[in-house]
This record gives sequence, structure tokens and C-alpha cells, in this order.
Amino acid sequence: MIRLQRVSKVFGEGPARVPALSDISFGIDKGDFAVLTGASGAGKTTLLRLLYRDELPTEGEIEVADFDLTTLRRSEIPRLRRSIGIVFQDAKLLAGRTVFENVAFVLRVLGTSRRDITPKAFAALKAVGLSARAQAYPNQLSQGEAQRASLARAIVKAPALLLADEPTGNLDEQMAGEILDLVKDIWSRGTTIVFATHQARLVTQLRRRTLKLEGGHLVKDEG
Amino acid sequence: MLAFLVGEALRDLRRAGRVGVSAVLLIALSLSALGGFWVFSLNLGRAVDQWRERVRVVGYLKDEPSSSRLDELTRQIEAMPGVLRVRYVSKAEALKALKQSLGGQADVADQLPRNPLPASVEITPDADTATPEGTRALVRRLQTLPEIEEVQGGSQWVDGLAQFRRLFELVGLGVGAVLAAAAILTVTTATTLVLHLRRDEMEIMRLVGASETVIRLPRLLQGMAQGLLAAVIALAALEAAYALAAPRLEPLLPVTLGLQRAAFLSVPQMLLLMAGGAVLGAMGGLLARGRGQL
Repeated sequence: MIRLQRVSKVFGEGPARVPALSDISFGIDKGDFAVLTGASGAGKTTLLRLLYRDELPTEGEIEVADFDLTTLRRSEIPRLRRSIGIVFQDAKLLAGRTVFENVAFVLRVLGTSRRDITPKAFAALKAVGLSARAQAYPNQLSQGEAQRASLARAIVKAPALLLADEPTGNLDEQMAGEILDLVKDIWSRGTTIVFATHQARLVTQLRRRTLKLEGGHLVKDEG
Repeated sequence: MLAFLVGEALRDLRRAGRVGVSAVLLIALSLSALGGFWVFSLNLGRAVDQWRERVRVVGYLKDEPSSSRLDELTRQIEAMPGVLRVRYVSKAEALKALKQSLGGQADVADQLPRNPLPASVEITPDADTATPEGTRALVRRLQTLPEIEEVQGGSQWVDGLAQFRRLFELVGLGVGAVLAAAAILTVTTATTLVLHLRRDEMEIMRLVGASETVIRLPRLLQGMAQGLLAAVIALAALEAAYALAAPRLEPLLPVTLGLQRAAFLSVPQMLLLMAGGAVLGAMGGLLARGRGQL
């Protein structure tokens, strides 16, 4: 599903040059669950951005879901992203739309037939336990509910890969546990997961393959 | 998908708020100016065409010719290139016409010891010859005839009217172009504002894999909707102005332009104006896309 070969990423040039990732190589098979960990600034977010082709590597090769990202044309990026669901630390819900509309929005922009939008959106909301809050607006949600809505939006198009960038970063322990359970549930249905977190407790709790970054270097790959 | 795109465009239009309304009004203003100049130019064009049909060249004869000589002269003139019709006006007919034009003072002509008016031939040139060059050539040819003393007439003044019409059209296009540029910039501003408001939506659209067409099309549609709405307003304003002004101006038209009634834009011309509005709006939307890759 994912293959990185000697990937480096440097931002800026000359004196403003900032190396973000250095010589990273690893692979993640289809259906795997990998935890990407490291302190803030270790390069987790940069690595995830490379995976959904928001950035290009300075060196090395990246393959995601059979797309070669180093040679992928700009016009083909939407095709790659349709196979990836992404969740961020801030839920990034659209303020003027209800929870249901936020989830349905994805299907609408992807051209899903009108008949299929409602059942698919409700199925995604049910999967994250948010059916009862479908008509609520983002400012009426708790942080945990907002993150669950964000998860529903990520999975509504049934992606092969889910990238989660610190989705529990803003949540208390109980809410974080609930989100973790949901992500595991999504994984159990066959979705490949890359879960980025700086919270050591969660890494221990997850007991999955762990990729640890330090200063842009991959210092540990175990589990 | 189309319903979604149109829905998003309308939602954007609402979001543009006052700037969006300003854009619609500015496009309406520029289209009204263009349309107004168009209506005037249309009527001037009709007047020019009508006056061209009335262009005459008159050849005054040295003497009143005999009947056989007149037939020969008429044939000679009719054979000249560019001549549509020839009409002979005898001395008596000329005097009668003078008296008619003098009206109440016709008896002044009766005081004359003899009829001083010459006989003449009144020549109607065909459409191709009713130009300054054409009539000049015709005058030269007529002057070669020994029976003709003097030749008068031509189409200079009609061409003056035609040139005025062209100048009028240029001024109209100039004013329209300046207003259109202002309108495009306002639509661009309105759309750019919407782009800022939609930044989050566009980010989500890109992240979930929406195609660039789906992301950009609502902006184009928003601009086009503004342009079409403005064109409808402009046409309504023009129609209202025409309905108010035409009855007041029509009594003056026969004595000024020689027209019986004022004409308004035809249906194809109105459709063209609406298409112009849509294009102006779309250009504004497209320019905003160029600036606002958010």
C-alpha cells in the first residue's frame, strides 16, 4: 500500500534551508495499522503530507496505493486522494454546514449519485456513533463529536488508506480512547491505517507497528 | 453534479453580498450604456439607409429640349453606369414646384416677367453610386453632355451622417469598454472575496479528491449568473427608457432623421447583449481564479 525509498524532504534554500525528513525508507502493506510517533517537529506531519501528495520529496521515491507520487501528474492527484481518507488534529469541519452536510459534501463533490448520498452519509455517521447529531452544526459539537464527524467524513468514500494526523491531540483521555476504538474498528474492516501521534500512552495502548521519527530521521521501526 | 455546481454558484453569489450586488449593477450599467448607444446607432443607420435612397443629382439644361432630343438625352443618361432613374422636369413644372414651396407668397412668382427657372433632369443613382465618389463620377459624366449647363447634388451630407453614426458607435464602444472593464474588476473582486470565504471548503474539496473542474466551475458559473442577471436588468431598463422616450421623440423623427418611428433592439440583438453580460461575468470569475489559488 505504501512504499518509501530513501525519501528526504528539505524546505527552503540556502541559509533558509530546513531539512524536515532524511533518508526515510519503509513499507506498509495493505490492511496494516502503523503508528507514526515522535515529538512535535519530528517530521510526522511532513511525512503524511508527502503521502497524500501535498508535498513532493526532495529526494527518493514514494508509492501509495499503486500511484508513483514522484512522477504523478498534478491532474492525477485527485485520483490518488479519492483512495485516501485524512483526519487532522483540528476537525476542519465546514462551519456553515450541518454534520450530515459536511459528510455528504464529500460525496457530492466526488459526483456520487443523489440517491446514494443520504444512505452512505448516514452509514458513515452511524459507524462513528453520530447519527443522532446529524443536524447539528460544528459549533454545537463537543471536540470529541467534531473529531468523530471528521472521521465519518474521511471514511464515507470508503478509502483504502486512512491517514490520521494527531486526531486525539486536542482530546481528553476518554474521548481519545473513543476515537482510538473507532479507528481500530475502521481498520478491522480492511482499511490501511497510518496513525500519527506524539502521545506515548496511545502508542503503548495501540500495540501496533510503530515508526518513530526523531529530527526527521526514522529511528525505530518495530512491532 | 450539475445541480451541485449550480447550487454552489448560487450559494457563492449570496455570500458575495454587497460586492456581488455592486458587480451586478456595474455590469448592468455598462450593458445599458452599450445597449443605449446601440439603439441610437440602429436608428441612425436606418436614417442613413433611408436618406441614401433619396440621393438625387440634378442636371440643369441650357434650353428646353424638343421631345425627340429629350428622349435621346434620357436614353443617354440612363445608359450611364450607376443611374437608376431619370426624370425630366420642365420649366413650367419647376415654376409650379416653386410656387408650391412658396405657399402663401406664391404670387411673388407671378410678378416675374418670364419664367427664369431652367428645365432639368433629376437623376436617382443606384445604391452603389449613392456615395460621394459615385455621385462625383456621375456629375463628371453629366457635365460632358452639351445640353447640360450645370450639375448639382450629391451624397456628401448623407455620408456626413454615416460618419457621425460611426463616430457615435466608437464613442459607445469606448464608454461600454471602460464600464465593462470596471464591471469585470468588480466581478473579480466579488469572486475573490468568495474565494477567501470558501478557502476551507476548497481545501476540503482538494483533500478528498475533487477534480479542479468541480472546484473551479462554481466561480465561473457565479460570474456568469451575475452577468446574466445584470443583462436582464439592463434590458429591462432599456425597454422602460424606450417605452417612455419613444412616444415623445417620434413626432420629431420625420423632420430630423426622416424616420416614421424609432426602432428597438431585435430579439437576436437582445440575446447578444445577454451573452455579452454572461461573458463579462465569466471573465470576472476566471480572473479571480487566476489570482485566488487558495
